[in-house]
Amino acid sequence: MSGISRRRFLAGLGAGGALAASGLGVWAWRRDEEAPAPAAGSTPSSAEVALGIPGRTLVILELAGGNDALSMIVPHGDPRYRDLRPSLAVTDPIDLDGTFGLAPSLRTVAGEYAAGRVAVVHGVGLERPDLSHFESFHRWWTADADTDATGWLGRYLDATVGFDDPLAAISIGAGPSPALAGASSFATAIADARGLRPDVLDEDVQRALLAAWGKMVPDRPARGLLGDVQRAIGETLEARDRLTSMLAGGVRATRPRGGSRPVVLSMRDALTLAARLAAGDAAPRIVYVQAAGDFDTHQGQAARHDALMRQLDEGVAAFLATLDELGARDRAVLATVSEFGRRARENGTGTDHGTAAAHLVVGSQVTGGMYGEPPSLRALDDAGNLVPTTMLRDYYATLLAWLGVDAQPVVGGAPRPLPLF
Amino acid sequence: MVSERERIAHVLRRCSMGAEPDVAAGARSVDDALAHALDRSAPVSAPPVLAAPADEEAARDATRLRAQFAWWLERMVAGERPIEERLVWFWTDHFATGFQKVRSPDLMWRQHLTIRTHAAGSFADLLRAIAKDGAMLVYLDGVQNSAQQRNENFAREVMELHTLGRGNYAQDDVVAAARAFSGWVVHLPFRPRTRRPGTEPFASYFVPARHDDDTKTLLGRTGRFDLDGALDVLLEQEQTARFVAEKCYRAFVGLDPDARTLDRVAASFRRDWSIAALVEAIVSSSEFTSDDAVRAHVRSPLEKLVALAQAVGDGAIDPTAAGGVLRVLGYAPFAPPNPAGYPKGKALLGPHRLVHTFDLANAVGGAVDADARGTLARFGCFDVADGTVAAVASAPDARTRTLLALGSPEVALR
Repeated sequence: MSGISRRRFLAGLGAGGALAASGLGVWAWRRDEEAPAPAAGSTPSSAEVALGIPGRTLVILELAGGNDALSMIVPHGDPRYRDLRPSLAVTDPIDLDGTFGLAPSLRTVAGEYAAGRVAVVHGVGLERPDLSHFESFHRWWTADADTDATGWLGRYLDATVGFDDPLAAISIGAGPSPALAGASSFATAIADARGLRPDVLDEDVQRALLAAWGKMVPDRPARGLLGDVQRAIGETLEARDRLTSMLAGGVRATRPRGGSRPVVLSMRDALTLAARLAAGDAAPRIVYVQAAGDFDTHQGQAARHDALMRQLDEGVAAFLATLDELGARDRAVLATVSEFGRRARENGTGTDHGTAAAHLVVGSQVTGGMYGEPPSLRALDDAGNLVPTTMLRDYYATLLAWLGVDAQPVVGGAPRPLPLF
Repeated sequence: MVSERERIAHVLRRCSMGAEPDVAAGARSVDDALAHALDRSAPVSAPPVLAAPADEEAARDATRLRAQFAWWLERMVAGERPIEERLVWFWTDHFATGFQKVRSPDLMWRQHLTIRTHAAGSFADLLRAIAKDGAMLVYLDGVQNSAQQRNENFAREVMELHTLGRGNYAQDDVVAAARAFSGWVVHLPFRPRTRRPGTEPFASYFVPARHDDDTKTLLGRTGRFDLDGALDVLLEQEQTARFVAEKCYRAFVGLDPDARTLDRVAASFRRDWSIAALVEAIVSSSEFTSDDAVRAHVRSPLEKLVALAQAVGDGAIDPTAAGGVLRVLGYAPFAPPNPAGYPKGKALLGPHRLVHTFDLANAVGGAVDADARGTLARFGCFDVADGTVAAVASAPDARTRTLLALGSPEVALR
C-alpha cells in the first residue's frame, strides 16, 4: 500500500491537521520495506485490503468461557429444547417471533430488537469444532486460519494503518487481545479509564516521570531503530493525551490496587468506555472488550447465566446511552464473540463445552432480525453438539462489512457476509 | 561510531538475558566479554523440585510454579552461565507451549528442565526430547493423535515452526508426519485412563495400539516411520539446518545473514547439530560485533526486568509481582500467546508496552546509586543520546532516575 492511501485513511478518520502535524504516521517510511512477504498458500496475510468507510467503529465483546447461547437466544418454540434442558430451560423468555425468545434479563436488547436495531446470527461456529477453550479461542482469534502469529483484526490493521496510528485499535482488558496481533501493526491496550498510565507510583511522581520521559524524544530522532523508539515514546505520550481526553468524564477511574493484579472492568464500565472511544475524534476502528464475566457454566448455570445476561444487558444499555449522549449512535456497532456454545443436553446443574452458538449484533445501523439457519436440536453431532450453520469466516465477513472492508484478505477462503448492513 | 565499551556491553546483552553491568564495566576487551559470556563452567544451584501434587486441584494450580519461576529468574539475574540462560530462553520461545492449554505445572516444569538439559547441546537430541515431551504432546494435541483418529497439529507446527519453516513442505507431508507421530500419550495422575503399569506420573509413553504402523511417504522418503524415524527425515533436510541456523543467527546478530555465511554455518551445524558450536561460529563472526548489529534488537519486557534487577544490584525480584506485570506486557511466564512464541521486534514498541515498562519496578525495589550516566551504564548503555542523559539527570531522586533509565530509548534496545 502506498503512503498516500494510508494518509487518506487517517484523513478519512477525521484525523486531519492535528494528527498529521503531531507526527502520527512516522512509521510509514519503514513499514513498506519491512512488511513481511505474503505467506505461501491460501493463508490470509497482510495483502491489500480496502480501507473501508471512515467514521465507523466495530466493538467486539468477548463472552469468555463459552456462552450458553441456548439460554440467551432461547428456542422456546421447540419442545425438544425442554427435553434437552429439563432443569435448565429458560421458562420465561421475552418472545421475539414465536420460536425464539431472549433471556428474561435482556430487556434493553429486547427493546432494541423490537425497534429493528438488533441482529441475531444463528449457529456461528468453526468448520472443525474443538472443545478446548484455548484451541477454540485461538481459532476465533485467528479466524481459524492456518497461521499462529496474527489475529484476524491484526491482519486488517497490517493491511491498512500499519504502525501509523497506535489508536486505530484499542483493546480494553488486561492486555491486547490476540485477535489484534498483527505482523506490522500494533494495538493499544488499556485496562480501564486511566488509559495509558503506569500502574505504579502516585500521581505526582507519575506526572514528573512522564514529563521527563518526553524529553527523551529529540526534535530530530536518531537513525534506525533508536529513532523508532524515540518516536514511539513521543507517539505514546500523544496517544495517552488523546485517550485521556476521550475517556474523560465517562467512567470513574479504577483505583490501582497496589499490587500488579490486572483490573477487570464490568461489562457496563467496559462498554461505556468503548462507546466513549467510538464517539471521540479520530475514533478507533476497532474496540475489543474483554470484561468481567465467566461464561464457563459447568455448574450452577441457572443463576450464573441469568446474572451474566443481566450484566450483558446493563452493558448494552450503557453502551447505547453513552453513544446517544455523545451524539454518536450511528457510529458504532457492537458484536459478541465467544469461543464456543455449550452442549445441547444439560449435565447436572450446568452444561459442557459445545460448538455452535447464536450471537448478537447491536447498533442503530444494523438491519435487525434473524440471520442464518438455527441449528437443529434434533440433528446433533456425535458428541451431542449443535452443528454450526454460519461459518466463523462468514460472521467475521459480516462484521467487516460494517467497516466497509474487503473481508477475503483478512479471513481467507470465500467469505459470504450476511446482509446486516 | 560505536565505542569500545558499548561494543563490550553489546556482546553481553546478546549473550545473556540481562546486561551483566559488572562485567560490562570491567571487561578489558570484546574478546574478554565474549569469553565471560560463553563460559559454562560456573556452578549453578540445582533446580527446585516440584513436589508431586496432592490432589487434582493442585495438579492444575499454576501458582505451584512460583518457586520454579523465581529460581529461573534468579539464574538470569545472577548470570552464572550467561549463554546458557540466553539459549534456554531461545528454545523456550522456539518450542513454545503454554499453561493456558497444558494446564499442568508439572508438565510445564518438566519441559523447562528438558530444554535446560539440551539448551547448548545437540539440536537433534533436543528436538527428539521435545517431540515426546508431555507439555508439547498436550499443547499441540499429540495425545489426541492416534491411528484411529489423526490429529495433524503437532505435525504441522513441527515443520512450520521448529524445523523447516513455512513453504517447505506440503499437506501430504503433514499427514505422513502425523501418522508417524501417532501413539504417544501422557500419564496424568488423577486421570486414571491415562495410566499404564510402570509409567511414572507426568511421563509420556508409547502405545503401539494407537500407532499407525503402515508405510508413509514423508518429504520424498518412504518407510514405516515412527516418531524418531520421522524426525530423522526432518533432520536430513538441509532446510532444517538452514532454518534453525538462520533463526539463531538473527537472534544473536540481529541482522539477516548473507547467503554464503548462512551456507557455511548451516552446513557445519548439520554435521553434528551442536548448538554450542553453532553459537560460537555466529558470535565469533565479524558481523556479530559490527556497528550495524549493535542495538538491532528490541529488548523484551523480560529482558528489561532482568536488566533492572541487575542494575539495582541487590534488588531481589518479587516473582508474583513480576508474573503480574509480565502478563500485562504479554510476556507471562510459561504462557506465550501462541505456538509461535512471544511477541518480538517493533510489536514491543506499542504504547501500552512502553508505558507499562515502568510497572516492572513493581517487581524490583531499590535504585541505582549513581548519576545519570552511571545509572544508564548499569543497564549496559554507554553510548547514550544527550537528551536521554539530561532527562535522566532531571529526576529528583535515585529511584526516579532508575525508572527513567529503564524507560529510555537506549534501554529499550539491546
